[in-house]
Amino acid sequence: MAVLSAWRVARVTPLGELHTPPRMTAALLRLTVQIVLVASLWRGLYHATGTTAGLDRDQAVTYAVLAVLASRVRELDQYSGRDTVLQHMHFGTIVYWYLRPLPPQRYYALRALGEQVYGFAWALAGYAVCLAAGVVRPPGSAAVAGVFALSLLLGQLVMYYVMLVIDQLCFWTLRNGAAIMILIFAQNLLSGVYAPLWFFPDWFITLSAFLPFQATLSVPLSLYVGRIPLSDAGFQLAVQAGWVVVLALFTRLLWRRAARRVISQGG
Amino acid sequence: MSLNALRIIWRVTRLNFRAQLEYRSEFLMMIAIGAIWQVSVIVFATVLLSRFTGMGGWDSSDVLLIPATRMLAHALFVLFLGRMHGVGRHIQEGRIDTYLVRPMPVHRQVQLEFFPTNAIGDMTVAVGLMVGALSRSQLDWTAGRITYLIACLIGGMLLEAAMFTVVASASLRFPAADYWSRWLEELLGTFGSYPLNVLPRAVGGFLTFGLPLAFVAYFPAAVLTGHGDSTGVPYWLAAASPLLGALAYLGARLLWRWSLGHYTGVNG
Amino acid sequence: MSGSIEVRGLSRTFHTTVRRPGFLGGVRSLVNPERVAKEAVCDISFDVAPGELLALLGPNGAGKSTTIKMLTGILTPTAGEARVAGVVPYEERERNARNIGAVFGQRTQLWWDLPVRESFSILRDIYEVPKAEHAARLKEFDELLALSSFWDTRVRHLSLGQRVRSDMAAALLHDPPVVFLDEPTIGMDVVVKEQVREFLRHQVEERGRTVLLTTHDMTEVERLAERVVLINHGRLVLDGTLDEIRRKFGSTWQVRATLADPHTPVEPLPGITLLRREGPQVVFGPDGPTAPTVHQALKQVIERYEVTDIALDEAELEDVMRAAYVQSEVRVEDRAGGA
Repeated sequence: MAVLSAWRVARVTPLGELHTPPRMTAALLRLTVQIVLVASLWRGLYHATGTTAGLDRDQAVTYAVLAVLASRVRELDQYSGRDTVLQHMHFGTIVYWYLRPLPPQRYYALRALGEQVYGFAWALAGYAVCLAAGVVRPPGSAAVAGVFALSLLLGQLVMYYVMLVIDQLCFWTLRNGAAIMILIFAQNLLSGVYAPLWFFPDWFITLSAFLPFQATLSVPLSLYVGRIPLSDAGFQLAVQAGWVVVLALFTRLLWRRAARRVISQGG
Repeated sequence: MSLNALRIIWRVTRLNFRAQLEYRSEFLMMIAIGAIWQVSVIVFATVLLSRFTGMGGWDSSDVLLIPATRMLAHALFVLFLGRMHGVGRHIQEGRIDTYLVRPMPVHRQVQLEFFPTNAIGDMTVAVGLMVGALSRSQLDWTAGRITYLIACLIGGMLLEAAMFTVVASASLRFPAADYWSRWLEELLGTFGSYPLNVLPRAVGGFLTFGLPLAFVAYFPAAVLTGHGDSTGVPYWLAAASPLLGALAYLGARLLWRWSLGHYTGVNG
Repeated sequence: MSGSIEVRGLSRTFHTTVRRPGFLGGVRSLVNPERVAKEAVCDISFDVAPGELLALLGPNGAGKSTTIKMLTGILTPTAGEARVAGVVPYEERERNARNIGAVFGQRTQLWWDLPVRESFSILRDIYEVPKAEHAARLKEFDELLALSSFWDTRVRHLSLGQRVRSDMAAALLHDPPVVFLDEPTIGMDVVVKEQVREFLRHQVEERGRTVLLTTHDMTEVERLAERVVLINHGRLVLDGTLDEIRRKFGSTWQVRATLADPHTPVEPLPGITLLRREGPQVVFGPDGPTAPTVHQALKQVIERYEVTDIALDEAELEDVMRAAYVQSEVRVEDRAGGA
């Protein structure tokens, strides 16, 4: 029975997308255009430069395209489903999350899982096309591929928790739409979606080493393109796992405080 | 616009600013996060320039003028005309219907929805970047050049506003079109800061005639720095960027008015 | 299925920040906010028996919603105790959740992007309802609420009436013994309202559910509720039947009789006073606290006199409630003045 409800809740997002074909067409168009633009931008930037920041042209293009694909995993139009914490707080429907025999944190996790698996399917399909078209290079070896897969999984977990923290903030600041945009920007910048972190000055790299954002994408992608050698992989994976644990504990605390807040104010 | 209308705009804006103060924690958080954001944007903009010198055959001090122009125009847009993003949501929540029955233009009511606290952050970054770009620039900043730069900033603001107004007009018919406004913002942010001649011709053409991104900052900067002949479009077209921005905005407003006239509402 | 509700001395105080006026005031509030306490609900006690429908009435801001939120477990009281089907809702929220269904006005719990039936399936699995049972109940609800004409439509495209009917069904699909409805028919047309009322009546009478309802629609109260609890300013003003309320606040009925013989001498009856006499027409009204109901008065007049025609003007429930709200207002002020 619990498996059944998990399945039901997890498939809300994919189902909603399947019921709106225009949205899927839009997503496909957006992904295609974004990849073409990003790939040609990095090729253009490298036109007069050989290797910079330890990345050559192909590595940089591969990195950038994979970053676009990977960010697709959790970049759905969640607002249209009216099932974000922000919207539930705004419409006062958050009370229903606390009126069901399913704890809100589990409901949230299941929804996110469904979303991430669905997004991953898109990313995987995009990856296959890009690989076939020669836009991205295949991983250097089977070992690199394996370490990358593990690191990507951990990165997705960190990503889930980072997004969760952003959503949980809505329990305290009702109208933080702009703050969320800025946090998402920080996530994109510091995880290396806009540009690989290797291009940034040393102090910036040091700073971001103390933040969880680079564990989401920068680490797995750097492993993939070989900018982080396999010999360093163990340490990087351990750091990612560390962030997973820390963030898991932190968000648990926030859930408890959020529940207390809802219960003391009545939603 | 009458004097009375201006007075109302000023009063509502002041009230909106006070409303922002009401949400204490958010206001303080916005300021704190804004500070982090400013640093990261400047780092991002300068990093790529220092890594890839001679980008597109431009001197890096010249290239810096592109993100500076683009960001200052964007900041002006956020401050004065930035509320068009959220129109899709207003429509879904039926707020547009309330606006339609009030004796004030709907577009103005949308603009007066709330005070954009984040514009303070945007403006600070953009002004800082522009000052940096101008101080590094080896150009002779004559009165003519400065006037042209100011015209370009206003044109860039109007052009960006025009693009979002078009999406907003589409949202009146298809509320889901709001989705595109977020993508539009992302595209402007990602590709607005480079000399577009580094891109293949087809891609550059798309960002010129498909999505008129090139007219916001790339063409104005090219004209100012003497690269106006190598942009891939006739010199006069590149030089006319501010004028095109104004025309685009005018056209977008007409489209908006026409769409409002054909607005049928949502959910019966 | 024992769905009783017991409320004992329930109280709830909220703390809010006051904003000072003016621009400088705004800045000052930012730096040093001033907090005040407000009693939303104060020492309320009442019971609802299993299978009973109780209407919780009161003017806007009286504390109705706060009370419902405490009984559903999403708000903890500052004092007092409540039990819903034997469970203290705010202490065992999840256990309570299985016993209750709730609809909050126009707030929908359905999934916006999915067809209505998908929302029902999700809720079925969340509440762990067996498939056969779910199908049977859905069929029953469909017969009463005509859901099947739109349950394959996505929620975002439903009209308000369709959405509220769907929400009503969604709240009852797991067969809860206790149901809370916070202004369920607000903003709906008369046809849909009647449909929902019929549905509620069926759920109470045939399924034995306990229903606690808040509404501002007095027709609804008359059609559905035998008993009402009236609160104002967070305090309980009255707990009784509709008749009791009428007797207490609605002392405005009149019986108009035309006597067969215009010269019959007319005297007051017990609890009934003679208001006017114009030839053969006499008008009676209630007298004092022992006044009978309008129906009893009618009977007494007919028994006592020979009449050719008789008519009665009963106070509308809405007028009664207005009187009750105004009087309770006065009483609260008295208490505040005396304290």
